[in-house]
Amino acid sequence: MEGEKPQLMINGKRTDGRMPGDLRPIKIEVGILKNAEGSAYLEWGNNKVLAAVYGPKEAQPKHIADPNRAIIKCRYQMAPFSSLEEHNRSGPNRRAIEISKVTKEVFENVILLDNFPGSEIDVFVEVLQSDGGTRAAGITAAAVAIASSGIPMRDIPYAVSAGKAGEEIILDLNKLEDNYSDADMPVAISPRNGEILLLQMDGSLTKEQCEKAMQLIIKAGETITKVQRAALETRYL
Amino acid sequence: MKIVLPGDKISDGPVRMENAIVENGKTYATVIGMLDDSKGTFVPLESVWYPRQGDFVIGIVENSKNNVHTVQLDSPFRGLILPPPRPRFGGRDRDRGGMRNEERQEILHVGDVVSSFVRDVRRESDQIILILERPRKLFGGKLVEVRPSKIPRVIGKENTMLRQLEDGTKCTILVGLNGIVWLKGGDAQLAQKAISKIQEEAHISGLTERINEMLAKGVQ
Repeated sequence: MEGEKPQLMINGKRTDGRMPGDLRPIKIEVGILKNAEGSAYLEWGNNKVLAAVYGPKEAQPKHIADPNRAIIKCRYQMAPFSSLEEHNRSGPNRRAIEISKVTKEVFENVILLDNFPGSEIDVFVEVLQSDGGTRAAGITAAAVAIASSGIPMRDIPYAVSAGKAGEEIILDLNKLEDNYSDADMPVAISPRNGEILLLQMDGSLTKEQCEKAMQLIIKAGETITKVQRAALETRYL
Repeated sequence: MKIVLPGDKISDGPVRMENAIVENGKTYATVIGMLDDSKGTFVPLESVWYPRQGDFVIGIVENSKNNVHTVQLDSPFRGLILPPPRPRFGGRDRDRGGMRNEERQEILHVGDVVSSFVRDVRRESDQIILILERPRKLFGGKLVEVRPSKIPRVIGKENTMLRQLEDGTKCTILVGLNGIVWLKGGDAQLAQKAISKIQEEAHISGLTERINEMLAKGVQ
């Protein structure tokens, strides 16, 4: 039984008062877990995400090791207390397995895996509080954590989602918009060369709408990249 | 000097240097580091140890089978200590500077801490292994983990920092490039504190003076 769909745009503004192309405030802190090689804590609106990176270390169990390159193991997980509904059970569910997989694939294209044959790199993304767009938040946080660990990588990727509320293209969807919007498209991009590392979509967009969404995402990427860089740089200033 | 992050351009031309990649004729950093444009040097602030011939390493004997010892080096690559080659014409092993096999077996056990040098980085069928030479068993002492990128700071220019630490704490200190430091005797606690301070403040100038001060004051 589907309830009544809430109005997502009122007088050109979104439910939380943002304009269609606005990001929620982002804050990143680096190096907060002492035991991890690299770690980052990210607050993106009401999302709170912790990312930790371990390795490279010997791949375990041995049969999963790739003799030519390192493998990445990624675990995305929502804490049982992260949301009021749905994610109230710990342990991997179908959604967590999918997001772990796509996050892993993002970093497989960024980390120089050939340098460490036969080894593994562990990436953990723990969502402590969720408010929509946690896969994007997780990728953004994990990218900073990997950069802070000293694992060689080509670039620091970022991720953000765009979607459609009515006919309006909106950026960085929150939980309400995520649930009731007509489309949701999380994208991860490597800012140096603009390579797209992740592109998923729920719902449907026309070609023009998709182009507009990409423009918003690339523009927002400049802001996100700035925050990522500032977080890494302040550690050494 | 400026901070460079992964993906930042180091040079417009292709430059072969560590911790950098060349793409489309341009050089980009792959780790966080300090770039000195005037000298063209790029010093990583964080990096992963990649073994080289001649590296001094410290590890723990993990396995011992058929006189081949496997050494855990806190890295994705495992070290192997092979038995010395047999003398061809019946000469004594001692004449050739090696240990007799029985002697070695007596000396190295699983769990022992050994220091050694990387003789060869070899690619076996499914993994990279390090052939270690001149193993030396370390008795007693304490192992401290240090991030491999900070090891050059712990040693200092021409061993200055290491000498300062040894003088200030009366410890015997061995620094493995794989990120393991062995401490014995003297004020090991102070040495450990000083090493963690070096790690945390490696990128801030005037480190030598601060460590000197700390060692002079002793344990707080």
